[in-house]
Amino acid sequence: MNVVVCVKQIPDPAAPQSLEPSTNTLDRSGKLILDDSDAYGVEMALQLVDKAGSGEVTLVSMAPNGEVAGLRTALAMGAAKAILVSDDALKGTDALGTAKVLAAAIKRTEFDLVLAATESSDGYTGTVPVQIAELLGLPSITFAKSVTIDGSTVKVDRQTEAGYDEVTAPLPAVVTVTAGVVEPRYPSFKGIMAAKSKPVDQVTAADLGFSAGDVGAAGSGQTIFAVADAEARSAGEIVVDEGDGAQRIVSFLEGLKVI
Amino acid sequence: MFEWSDEHLAIRDAIRSFVDNEVVPNIDALEHEGVPPYEVIRKMYRTFGMDEMARESFKRALERKIAGETGRPERRGGDNSAAMTLIPIIELCRHCPGIVTSMGVSTGLAGGTIMKGGTPEQMERWGLDLMTMDKIGAWAITEPDSGSDALGGMRTTARPDGDEWILNGSKTYITNGPYADTIVLYAKLDDGSEDDPRKREVLTFVLDKGMEGLVQSAPMRKMGLKSSPTGELFLSDVRVGVDRLLGGRKDPSRSKSEGRESAKENFVTERAGVAAMSLGVIEECLALSIDYAKSRVLWGKPIAQHQLIQLKLAKMEVARLNVQNLVFRHIEMSSAGKTPTLAEASAMKLYSAQAASEVAMEAVQLFGGNGYIAEYRVEQLARDAKVFQIYAGTDEIQITHIARDLLA
Ligand SMILES: Cc1cc2nc3c(=O)[nH]c(=O)nc-3n(C[C@H](O)[C@H](O)[C@H](O)COP(=O)(O)OP(=O)(O)OC[C@H]3O[C@@H](n4cnc5c(N)ncnc54)[C@H](O)[C@@H]3O)c2cc1C
Repeated sequence: MNVVVCVKQIPDPAAPQSLEPSTNTLDRSGKLILDDSDAYGVEMALQLVDKAGSGEVTLVSMAPNGEVAGLRTALAMGAAKAILVSDDALKGTDALGTAKVLAAAIKRTEFDLVLAATESSDGYTGTVPVQIAELLGLPSITFAKSVTIDGSTVKVDRQTEAGYDEVTAPLPAVVTVTAGVVEPRYPSFKGIMAAKSKPVDQVTAADLGFSAGDVGAAGSGQTIFAVADAEARSAGEIVVDEGDGAQRIVSFLEGLKVI
Repeated sequence: MFEWSDEHLAIRDAIRSFVDNEVVPNIDALEHEGVPPYEVIRKMYRTFGMDEMARESFKRALERKIAGETGRPERRGGDNSAAMTLIPIIELCRHCPGIVTSMGVSTGLAGGTIMKGGTPEQMERWGLDLMTMDKIGAWAITEPDSGSDALGGMRTTARPDGDEWILNGSKTYITNGPYADTIVLYAKLDDGSEDDPRKREVLTFVLDKGMEGLVQSAPMRKMGLKSSPTGELFLSDVRVGVDRLLGGRKDPSRSKSEGRESAKENFVTERAGVAAMSLGVIEECLALSIDYAKSRVLWGKPIAQHQLIQLKLAKMEVARLNVQNLVFRHIEMSSAGKTPTLAEASAMKLYSAQAASEVAMEAVQLFGGNGYIAEYRVEQLARDAKVFQIYAGTDEIQITHIARDLLA
């Protein structure tokens, strides 16, 4: 069982962020870390491979400046190797372009399953995984809250608003996982020490067969022409309890039709 | 070494998030409700594979012992073991120096003494479980009437009786004493000779919880370090065979100073550990102080803009840099296979302990009334840091060790 996990390396959400004025995109020139939401996919993949008793987990990532810090974190958790696509020509690539690049990188590996997070914690488009599936001509299942493999079929409990759907697809397939799917492990000390010698195959857009204009800002079908602050939340209503506090909260909730 | 490597930082981040998830939410239980720290430590060992690494290094140590090799094992370049030991100490001490004390005494002092001086049988019988934290160890030298003068003034006696010894006496301030499964205990040989009791041979024994005549007290109430259980041990006619004599029976012409040497060797280990503990306390106090100084507004501006507050922050930073440099030097020496001298380790401990205590007290001052309130955390770190100047040899004892070396 070979599993590919798409992992994004993002600016540390705990650190102050800025936008690049010319493109209105997030400044990614500093140190990047593993997107927390990808740790779930990595953990799920490790557990599936472990259960299958053979195979390995390969990471695929696209990031500027040859960044490997986030990959090392996932390698320390137990992934075997990584493909990193890093190239100045990719600056400004939109979601579809990213999917094309990642799909091309995935094609370089032998895989039974591709896992990705539902959405990244910095971009939030949530579109890349299904685009990858389409580009690879594979079935895709989103919002997995549980993933099991049964022979050549993947079985997924797919989170819905009402509960979950039980869905299956033939392998190979692309599955996106939610944060509830598994609890990511901490990397062991040995894992951390071993991670630095695990192979990271760094490739360029040209290595994957793209030419100028296919990807990057030029190949991008979207332009962000303005970024506006989110609307400030209006102040809530403060209920001063004058003995009737509970009753007033109940009527408020009744007004909202929630009780 | 002048900064942490990428691997060190990865270890630090992993431990830091473990501490945030497993220690911080339980801090009240550990500090104020008498919950012993052992389960948290075991969880950390399992989570990061430290138990597995301990088993592997136990195996190598046992093989060396059986092959009759003494001294430190040869180290490869870039050996990371010192950093891997010290980084968790630093990170845990940002919140809970008591946990580190319990862990360090169990593995470093009790476990370390058995691994170094024990026979292969003793290593297997007691050493392995201590190194993996499966069992809890105590290391007992201090007595009510002899602390700084522990070896000379020791009153606990081992009276030979046939093939056995009978132990009598008491020990105090013993970390993990209330819960220890295995106790490394120092006692004076009392063979009826007229020798000066101060100069008599010190013997090292390994005791088990529940032995007849051994009483382990309840935890003592303390100023700080409340997450580390500290207690008394009482021995009345505890009978021990040669299997419990560290190193077993030896040839009668052997050095009579082995017990003393065994105790002293530990001084170097624990003193280096205290420097790393101090660094954790200093880093945390400085970070908390910077945040507070920027956010507390008085006279229309953050207190960080008052020069007297800036002086406090600057002095904390000087302390942080100095202690960090001492820790880096220790890691560097250790990966080169070198051990500091007792005087060097004492200098390192003296400076670091004083720095941690001063920084933490200054943090309390900087926080004003909030500094005195538990919620703001610096009061706990200040109470905890004070013990760094007392245990593992008081400041005054470190000074005597440094001076003795300088004047020799
Ligand atoms: C929380 C805690 C945990 C501990 N854990 C352990 C443990 O696990 N195992 C263990 O064996 N012990 C342990 N100890 C004991 C600790 O090592 C002793 O408290 C310490 O060595 C000091 O001894 P004392 O308390 O008897 O002080 P004393 O020796 O009575 O010292 C009193 C004062 O006299 C000073 N003084 C002593 N001699 C001189 C001198 N020659 N010149 C100038 N000043 C001097 C001291 O510095 C001190 O200020 C622990 C102590 C504490 C507080």
